[in-house]
Amino acid sequence: MQAEVEETLKRIQSHKGVMGTMVVNAEGIPIRTTLDNSTTVQYAGLLHQLTMKAKSTVRDIDPQNDLTFLRIRSKKHEIMVAPDKEYLLIVIQNPCE
Amino acid sequence: MATRAQPGPFRPAGSAGAEALATGGAASAGGPGRPGPLQDETLGVASVPSQWRGVQGIRRETKSCQTASIATAEASVQTRKHADAEVQTEVPAPVGARTVAQHDSPRLAAFLRRVEAMVIRELNKNWQSHAFDGFEVNWTEQQPTVTCLHTLGYPPAQGQGLHVTSVSWNTTGSVVACAYGRLDDGDWSTLKSFVCAWNLDRRGLNPQQPSAVVEVPSAVMCLAFHPTQPSHVAGGLYSGEVLVWDVSHPEDPLLWRTGLTDDTHTDPVYQVLWLPEPRHSHRFQVLSVATDGKVLLWQGGGAGQLQLTEGFALVVQQLPRNTKLKKPPRGETEVGATAVAFSGFDPSLFVLGTEGGFPLKCSLAAEEAALTRMPSSVPLRAPARFTFSPHGGPIYSVSCSPFHRNLFLSAGTDGHIHLYSMLQAQPLASLQLSHKYLFAVRWSPVRPLVFAAASGEGDVQLFDLRKSSQKPTVSIKQTQDDSPVYCLEFNRQQTQLLAAGDAKGTVKVWQLSTEFTEQGPREAEDLEQLAAEGDVAVPGEERVQ
Repeated sequence: MQAEVEETLKRIQSHKGVMGTMVVNAEGIPIRTTLDNSTTVQYAGLLHQLTMKAKSTVRDIDPQNDLTFLRIRSKKHEIMVAPDKEYLLIVIQNPCE
Repeated sequence: MATRAQPGPFRPAGSAGAEALATGGAASAGGPGRPGPLQDETLGVASVPSQWRGVQGIRRETKSCQTASIATAEASVQTRKHADAEVQTEVPAPVGARTVAQHDSPRLAAFLRRVEAMVIRELNKNWQSHAFDGFEVNWTEQQPTVTCLHTLGYPPAQGQGLHVTSVSWNTTGSVVACAYGRLDDGDWSTLKSFVCAWNLDRRGLNPQQPSAVVEVPSAVMCLAFHPTQPSHVAGGLYSGEVLVWDVSHPEDPLLWRTGLTDDTHTDPVYQVLWLPEPRHSHRFQVLSVATDGKVLLWQGGGAGQLQLTEGFALVVQQLPRNTKLKKPPRGETEVGATAVAFSGFDPSLFVLGTEGGFPLKCSLAAEEAALTRMPSSVPLRAPARFTFSPHGGPIYSVSCSPFHRNLFLSAGTDGHIHLYSMLQAQPLASLQLSHKYLFAVRWSPVRPLVFAAASGEGDVQLFDLRKSSQKPTVSIKQTQDDSPVYCLEFNRQQTQLLAAGDAKGTVKVWQLSTEFTEQGPREAEDLEQLAAEGDVAVPGEERVQ
C-alpha cells in the first residue's frame, strides 16, 4: 500500500514541468509533499480554503453539480487541485511556452 | 614538623616511649623518688616515627577532592543550553502542525488511484497547450513612459555647490534621504554639509524644504537607512567617521558616532551598510568601507559611542593570487575599498570593489590575521578569498543580484559595466555604457534581468538584458548640462520608484514604466541562462511576451 502511494506520487512528480506535488487531508494538513515545509504549509492552507470556496460556489449555482477539478493559472506557473471527500492532490506545474 | 625532636605533637606514637625513658632515667640516679642533682643521664634516642607518608596520603585525598570540583564543567553545559534557547526564540511563529505520514494508507492509495489518471491527462494537456500564448493580464494601470515624479533639493546646500553623494530609501519606502558632500575635492574640506530627508507620502510636500535636515561638520560620502527602524540612518564622512542619526528628532538627531579614535578610518568612508548581528538577527551592526583598506563592523554601545566589534584589512600581499594584477607602487600595501555589496543568498559572503579596479570576493568568516600595522582594538583579519579580473580603473559601485546567488555587477571609471559570476575570474559580459565615469549600478529588486546605472554624462541608464544586451533600453536625462549623476537607489516597497542624485544637488524621483516593474513569465530561467552562458537568448527566437 505504502509503496503504491509513493510510486503514484513519484510518477506525477516526474512529469514534464512539475515543480511540486502534495497531498492534503480534509482539514488542510499536508500528508505528503515534495516541497519544503514552509512552502507546503502555505500552499496547503490557502488552497484548501480556495477549494472549499470553489466547491460551495459550484454547488450554490446548481445543487446537482459538484467540483471535479480546479486550475489556477498565474504568470509564473499553474496550480492544479484534484479534490475529494477526504483528500486534496495539489500539483504545481511550470508549463513550457 | 618531623624535624622536632620532642615527642609532644606525636603523643599517640611517642608518648609511651617517653615515659619509659623518663622512668629509666630516674632509676639510674641514686634512690627512688629523689632525682640526683646535676647528673649525667644517658637517655635513649628519642625517635620520632616519620609520618610524612601518612601526611602525603592525606594530601592525596585533598587533591582528589579538588578534582571532584571540576563539576564546574556542568556550568558550561548550562550556558550551551542558553544558546539553544536563543536559537529557539529566533525561530518565527510555528509553521503549523506538521503531521507524520498518515496511517490510513489504503484510503490514500484508493484516492490516488482515482485521481491519478485525470491529473496526468491535465498535465499533458497543459504541456502542449497554446491556449494562453500571448495572453497577459494587466492588474495595474499601465505606465508607458518614465516620468519624473519629484525634483527635490535643499537650497542652502545647492548654494554651496554641494553634490548629492548618496541617496537611500527607508524601510517603509516613503522617505528618501540624501547626503550632501563633494566628490571631486581632493583635500580635507571643513565645509559643513547636510543630510536631508523628504517624506514623499506626506501631503503638502515642498520639494525645496526637506522634512528633516541634519547639519554635519564634514562632507557626507554615503548613507544607509536602517532595515527595520524607519527613522535611523547611518552615514560615513569624509573624515573617516561613521555616524548614526535619527531623523525623526530634528533637535537632537545624532544617536551614535565613532569619534576619532585609533579604530576609526583614516580615509573617507565610501560606503556604509547595515548587517544583522550573527546571533540576534533583529539587531543590526554598521559595516563601513574606506580607502584606507579597512572594512569595519560597528555596534552601537552606551553613551552614544559606536564600538568596533570586528575588523578586516586588505593588504596587497594577502590578496589571492588567482588573477595576475599590476604591481602596486612601492611602499603601498593597503588596498583601498570603494564599494561593498552583500549577497542575499549567503549572509557572510560579500563583494568589495577596490581602487585597483578588481572586485574581491570576501567572507566575514575569514580567520587569517591581516599583515597590517594599523592600530586597532580588535584584531584585523584578511577577508579576501578570490580576486576577479580588473576593470580599467577604480570601481565605484558593486551590486549583487537579488535573484541569482552567483551574479554581480561592477561599474568603474572606465565607463564599463562588468557582469561577473562568483565562480570565475573573467567577467561574463562587459558593456560600455559611457565615455565618462560610471558612478553607481544597481540591480532592480523586482525584475531579474534589469539594472540601472548612473553615468558621468548626466543620465540614468536602464538596461533590460532580455531586450538588448548592447544598448540601454531607456536612457533618462537627469541633468540639463551633462553634470554627472552620482548615485541611484531603487525603492523596494514601491517598486516603480527610482531615486537618483546628481552634481547639481538635486534628487529626482523617477516613476518607471510598467515594463520595468512587472516580471515577465520566464525571467528566472533567462537569468539562469545568463549566468551559465553570459548571454540571454537572442530576441526573435521563440519568445513569448
